[in-house]
Amino acid sequence: MTQNATLERPQTGQGASLELTHALTQTVYREARMLDDENYADWVDMLADDLLYHMPGIETRYRRDKTDQITDLTRMAYYNDNLTEIKKRLSRLETGTAWSEDPATRYTHIITNVEVELTEKSGEYRVYSNFYAYRNRNEREEDSLIGNRVDIWREAESAFQLVTRRIILKHNVLLSKNLNIFL
Amino acid sequence: MRIEGIGREPEFSRYMDLKEGWLDRRIFSDAEIYEEELYRIFARSWLFVAHESQLPKAGDFLTTHMGEDAVIVARQPDGSIKVFLNSCPHRGNKVCFADAGNTRRFVCNYHGWAFDTAGELKGMHEEYCYDDNDIDRRKNGLKQVARVAGYKGLVFATFAEDGPSLDAWLGDFRWYLDMLLDNEEGGTELIGGCIKSVMNANWKFGVENFIGDAYHAGWTHDSGCRSMNNGQPFPPIDMENSYHASVNGHGWEFGTEGVGDLFLLGRPKVLEYYERIRPKMAQRLGEMRSKIFGSVASASIFPNVSFLPGISTFRQWQPKGPMEFELKTWVIVNKSMPDDIKNEITKGVMQTFGPGGTFEMDDGENWSNCTTVNRGVVTRHERLHYRCGISREIEHDTLPGIVYRGQYNDANQRGFYQRWLDMMEADKLEAMPDRPESRLSGVGETRNLPGLFAL
Ligand code: FES
Ligand SMILES: [Fe+2]
Repeated sequence: MTQNATLERPQTGQGASLELTHALTQTVYREARMLDDENYADWVDMLADDLLYHMPGIETRYRRDKTDQITDLTRMAYYNDNLTEIKKRLSRLETGTAWSEDPATRYTHIITNVEVELTEKSGEYRVYSNFYAYRNRNEREEDSLIGNRVDIWREAESAFQLVTRRIILKHNVLLSKNLNIFL
Repeated sequence: MRIEGIGREPEFSRYMDLKEGWLDRRIFSDAEIYEEELYRIFARSWLFVAHESQLPKAGDFLTTHMGEDAVIVARQPDGSIKVFLNSCPHRGNKVCFADAGNTRRFVCNYHGWAFDTAGELKGMHEEYCYDDNDIDRRKNGLKQVARVAGYKGLVFATFAEDGPSLDAWLGDFRWYLDMLLDNEEGGTELIGGCIKSVMNANWKFGVENFIGDAYHAGWTHDSGCRSMNNGQPFPPIDMENSYHASVNGHGWEFGTEGVGDLFLLGRPKVLEYYERIRPKMAQRLGEMRSKIFGSVASASIFPNVSFLPGISTFRQWQPKGPMEFELKTWVIVNKSMPDDIKNEITKGVMQTFGPGGTFEMDDGENWSNCTTVNRGVVTRHERLHYRCGISREIEHDTLPGIVYRGQYNDANQRGFYQRWLDMMEADKLEAMPDRPESRLSGVGETRNLPGLFAL
């Protein structure tokens, strides 16, 4: 594997400058707008070639249970995708036969609690955030997905690119029939 | 166990005519019929509760449901597995809140009664408050199910004291199950973790879809198939050399081309892997089963387990009311596979049949709309059409079960609802017929049978 910055907060996790914090906060807001608009072409442009997009499935276990349910990439996961795999998922929408996407789902992503940290690697930043993703479909189907994210964003020529994202959904049973959404 | 709660007269035959090929929609939405299903089907069937690999060590446990009854499944020090209600005999509180783990005791939060992993009452908080003849500890353990049994890694339990053994329950379907559970030395295991989701749909829609509905795949999943395979459409179906096979309400629909489902998974390395082991599989299971494995196929075990051999999703449809089920999904792999193949399969399954999978997303939408539309009182009295392929039954030299030609067919679905009807109407399980009569009863191991049954 590459030596990308890690998601785990090091002892020295250091807050970023006001300017950088502002720029990355605006970046995650812009990303949320891309997802709300189903503007996946522009969203994919925000993803790095060496992307890891991970949303583990987390069982309810007792506190004493030390099973690693978060960073073990061999376990069941809603998403455990590289960039090619994300693009494969998205290509379903281009086929014209993704019946359950027509009429379209209505999405709102609310992103809050953004914190930006420097990492052990220059040009890569750790960004924490919370999300509230709301979906509404057809007549009165709705659901809410709430959780935390921790990302690594990399400074590229003209913009930031998402390198790693870990999504922790707060559901045990996903209270929804599917997950036609990126978080 | 006598199921005392059975209330209604068994008159369920008015909800279907399987010779004609129709069902009444009320079986997918009516609350009273649903209650009867809990008593007559879920409290009396052999139900999948665990895979052995989920409980490797003594003290390992998991929690699940048998129907709507919450149970704990626990590995014993002697290696056996016990299944008991997750409900304290004192006031009924739940005693375990974790999905899985390892423990020596289940201690109730309410008054501190403590049970060992066999479910026996071992101690109570402030025990002195009970006088000598207040309590018999041996009679106040967690209520055990009537029977627990396994088939090649799958663990089943039933609340029914009488009735068929698990082997008789699975019957000749064991011959088919070997393709999933015994296609390579060492057997299978589930990948760690379980993904659960809810659907506003009747549990039977999930089961019947996997038991025989190859028909929906090319249409519903056109987008899923193309997205996983660079725009290529669904593999063509060969109606001459594909089949439905139904045994005691279980069913497997399949082609014999060997690669269709493996293709749909969209992971070339996995396809290569199976091509490599296929000659060995043929030695192990016979020519026919080695050609079936990996083909476009899907299967269900009555009443509520389904899987895709080749795609490797393994799942259970847990009833939660007439219009809701909880779907539990796992990934099943061969133990002897190298890690990178296990990983490829896991990723492939989650990208196709996880909640965010390119196939799954279009399925749930269908089942939930098939169910909730029955809120309409006129709508729910309308019949549904189950007649496809009704005259294509054949006798086959090799294939056990009630066999129909052509995998676009409603035959396995009719077989499933026939078993549903048998159970709903039978007051005694012994009165239920085998469908069809078993060709393999008395055969202990079905792996070694290449499948020449014209004996
Ligand atoms: S309810 Fe369990 S100890 Fe009282
Ligand atoms: Fe499907």
